[in-house]
Amino acid sequence: MKHRSLKRRQFIGALGTTSFALLPARHSPISRGLLSGKSRSPKPHQVAIAECNNYSAQTLFGALHSGWRHALSPDVKNRHVVIKPNIVDFTPDKPIETDARLIEALILLLKSHGAGKITLAEGPAHNRDSEMIFHKTGYTSVAKRQAVSLIDLNYDDVQWIQNDHHQGRFFEHVYLPETILSADVFISVAKMKTHRFAGVTLSLKNMLGILPGMMYGWPKNIIHWNGIPRSICEIAGLIKPHFVIIDGVVGMEGYGPLLGKSKQAGVLVFSDNALAADSTAARIMGVDPVRVEYMRLAQRFGLGSTRSQDINIYGGSIDSFRTNFDLEEPFEYLRAPKNAHP
Amino acid sequence: MHVDGLGSILNFIKSNQNLDGGWGYRIGSASLVEPTSFCILALLSGGEERLAGLGRDYLNTCLKAPGGIGTSPYDPNASWMAYAALLAYRALGETDQAKSLISWILGFKDGSDLLTSADIKITKRLYRFDPSISGWPWTVKTSAWVESTSLFLIALARAGVPLSNRRMVSGSSLLLDRRIPSGGWNFGNPYSKNFQMDATALSTSLALVALAATGHTEKEAAILSGIRFLQKSLLSRDQSVIALAWGLIALRSFSPRDTLVSTVGKYLNDLQQDDGSFRGNPFESALAYIALSDESLIISSPGIF
Repeated sequence: MKHRSLKRRQFIGALGTTSFALLPARHSPISRGLLSGKSRSPKPHQVAIAECNNYSAQTLFGALHSGWRHALSPDVKNRHVVIKPNIVDFTPDKPIETDARLIEALILLLKSHGAGKITLAEGPAHNRDSEMIFHKTGYTSVAKRQAVSLIDLNYDDVQWIQNDHHQGRFFEHVYLPETILSADVFISVAKMKTHRFAGVTLSLKNMLGILPGMMYGWPKNIIHWNGIPRSICEIAGLIKPHFVIIDGVVGMEGYGPLLGKSKQAGVLVFSDNALAADSTAARIMGVDPVRVEYMRLAQRFGLGSTRSQDINIYGGSIDSFRTNFDLEEPFEYLRAPKNAHP
Repeated sequence: MHVDGLGSILNFIKSNQNLDGGWGYRIGSASLVEPTSFCILALLSGGEERLAGLGRDYLNTCLKAPGGIGTSPYDPNASWMAYAALLAYRALGETDQAKSLISWILGFKDGSDLLTSADIKITKRLYRFDPSISGWPWTVKTSAWVESTSLFLIALARAGVPLSNRRMVSGSSLLLDRRIPSGGWNFGNPYSKNFQMDATALSTSLALVALAATGHTEKEAAILSGIRFLQKSLLSRDQSVIALAWGLIALRSFSPRDTLVSTVGKYLNDLQQDDGSFRGNPFESALAYIALSDESLIISSPGIF
């Protein structure tokens, strides 16, 4: 399918003038900077890598402290922080979702930094039964223990974000959840996995989970019909997390994102720029980000850079963490040559 | 469930009706067509016709010119929530609106006719189902799925659309085609490459209710294996409100006197909160009310299809 690239200026102009509330019952102000076509992160982007070999509270807390300190982490004091993990579905013994223990450790970190209200928010993609998924993945227990809200984005109040200058774009308008739009600080915590359609799934693709199921269904099939790379970039271009963390403690290789095998990478990746974090995580997985179609497109969208010379890495070198993830046959071409970081 | 328990569900629904006459999925959230429709059904069953009428007034504001209904008055497009509105309008005796919705639903198409022969061949090989069988999608001109197809079949059957209708026949064929060989259904992919996917209680319940509504019986292997999967799942005591409620309706659709019916009903009862609600969710509370008291609002004659 042929796509036309989107000019960044068009994106910014369109969004600046035409976002409005569709469902006015609980209209909340949109957080400044969350809806923006512009990459907030100047080049070179700053990415932190932290070794994290298991999900024990002590190990997680140490790694989170390190990454939070070395990356451009947001000021959360007295602010409403919304955390968006990746909980696409649940299968016992498969590392499909961002591990709930990591999220609990992050909540504790945010509390230690004086965060105000903290909300966990996700819209599982395949299954309307979010109650079951949240329960079985341990998120219901975490929310209860830490006294934070757990919002099912599939049923959240929504606003309709329209783009008048949709030239060739698939999403002329997008329904977005108020919980996300009203966040003071929005943090994406993705899982490091291979993906049967996209090659890899990391922070940028994690953003597809914010699309509310009640408007797009289960699965959110419109993104498949529109093309996954383009859909990822259009949604990730609309809503930019203030900070991203990638859970590579145990990821998934092979036939991901649901049916692959566990792969221990023993690492957390942090950044204020999703594309820079994803490019770094891809390199750790032995994948060349330039060969991943949606990352290449994201760079053209102005969402940041995949180039290693545009990314400063703190906490260790990619080579010291590199653990090649098995790639299924259609995606073997994504493999990065050893020690090559274009 | 005791009358007190049912009454407290109704009280929760009544006390959380929005000023526009509708209900959302949470207390105080914006009104939407699906939760409003189910609350109307529960209120009608409980004899609360005046409040149900206010809900009908809300639904009327969501109707679209070509005959469909949006998710809310602000939705520019007609939506999948039409299935729920059809159930509500039928129960309210609003035949004109029901007829209009039936017409829209029968014209609401998936993307099966957009697929190339290569698409169909690849899907059959990788996912082992036939994507050329049409059913109902969640959004127009995308793929048909098990749950959306089931919901529309249930509503159309309850509204009296003949089972011989071409789309009814195709919809139930889709469900049978998407079944998981080991028993039950998931969202709609029985396989992914070499992996057989897991069934889920909610998808299986919906598919079974829809197949019962379209004249299938437990003499069919797919139904029997689905019921067995569901029985095992529901007894795990690890299920959600929505899965237990639809599971209860599914069991009643085939074997209303099964001892499991009372057990699952008890499990569902146990999830009721002190405020009378189920998870503080008007939609789930209304669905639980219907499942526990009056499934005739959703299925026409339990056990005798």
